[in-house]
Amino acid sequence: MPTTPDDLPTTSPAPGGATRVDRRLLEILVCPVTKGSLTYDADRQELVSEAAKLAYPIRDGIPIMLPEEARPLDG
Amino acid sequence: MDSTQNAFTAGHYAARAQAYVDSRDHSQGADLDEMEAVLRGAGAAGWRVLDLGCGGGHVSYRAAPHVDAVVACDVTATMLEAVARTAAARGLANVTTQQAAAERLPFAAGSFDAVLCRFTAHHWGAVEAGLREARRVVRPGGLAVFMDVVAPPDRAADSHLQAMELLRDASHVRDYSVAEWLAMLSGAGFAVETATPRKLRMVFPTWTARTGVPPETAAAIRALQEGASGAVRAHFAIGPDGSFDLDTATLVARAA
Repeated sequence: MPTTPDDLPTTSPAPGGATRVDRRLLEILVCPVTKGSLTYDADRQELVSEAAKLAYPIRDGIPIMLPEEARPLDG
Repeated sequence: MDSTQNAFTAGHYAARAQAYVDSRDHSQGADLDEMEAVLRGAGAAGWRVLDLGCGGGHVSYRAAPHVDAVVACDVTATMLEAVARTAAARGLANVTTQQAAAERLPFAAGSFDAVLCRFTAHHWGAVEAGLREARRVVRPGGLAVFMDVVAPPDRAADSHLQAMELLRDASHVRDYSVAEWLAMLSGAGFAVETATPRKLRMVFPTWTARTGVPPETAAAIRALQEGASGAVRAHFAIGPDGSFDLDTATLVARAA
């Protein structure tokens, strides 16, 4: 079982009144492309894969882990 | 290619989510009973399980009472919304939804004690990749239950099935035979313990209405059935109204 990284969000309503992100689900999520770790951007409501240069959106509390729906990161 | 097929499938099912939640063909079945019995026998109370390609969520609803947590994963967002609504309405608080493609799962290796997968692999653009991903995310020694429509060993009957499926559902990719399933699962790193074939009677008007088949296409399927050989008609037990028997199989496996 994976350990809990420190940068994961606590289970709480997201800014803008979105429904809750399931914390236990976030603990096992990785980038679908690189299988590398993700960092949570609470302001943008995104899960960021630095290795893939992609930011996966969280909509209504559900992370959309599809590369084609992700926002490409510059540089 | 794979993401194109996935987008096509997602688009096809977007408008049909509630039909799959409500479908008795999907919500009931001896395969679901077998899956529940396997979970009960395995002592799964503390488990986290993945419902891979959850569709209307029937695997999740049946598994949820037997395990600690269910992650219902599908490529179609509206299916997930319907599953989240239905799980909440049924008081199944341990079901969470996740949008992802089977061939590119966003879960760390060994995240799950079991992967459950029903009536979905025949939609995948790259089935071997999906099965490898299923194997990756389940812990070594973990459980896997695959349930799907299967192609009959007879090649003519196989072609008849795929043709009917494609006419009914343009996002159909392929129903695999049990022999193909065994080879694919072995190749993906699963050791199959049991393979149980079952017949599932499809009532023609219900079967065609669920995917929104237009009348002219329903007529084409009927013509295909009428023109089939006696052996093919007998295999599928095609009735006067086009109702017929689908071959299905449940494969219980361990992550090797």
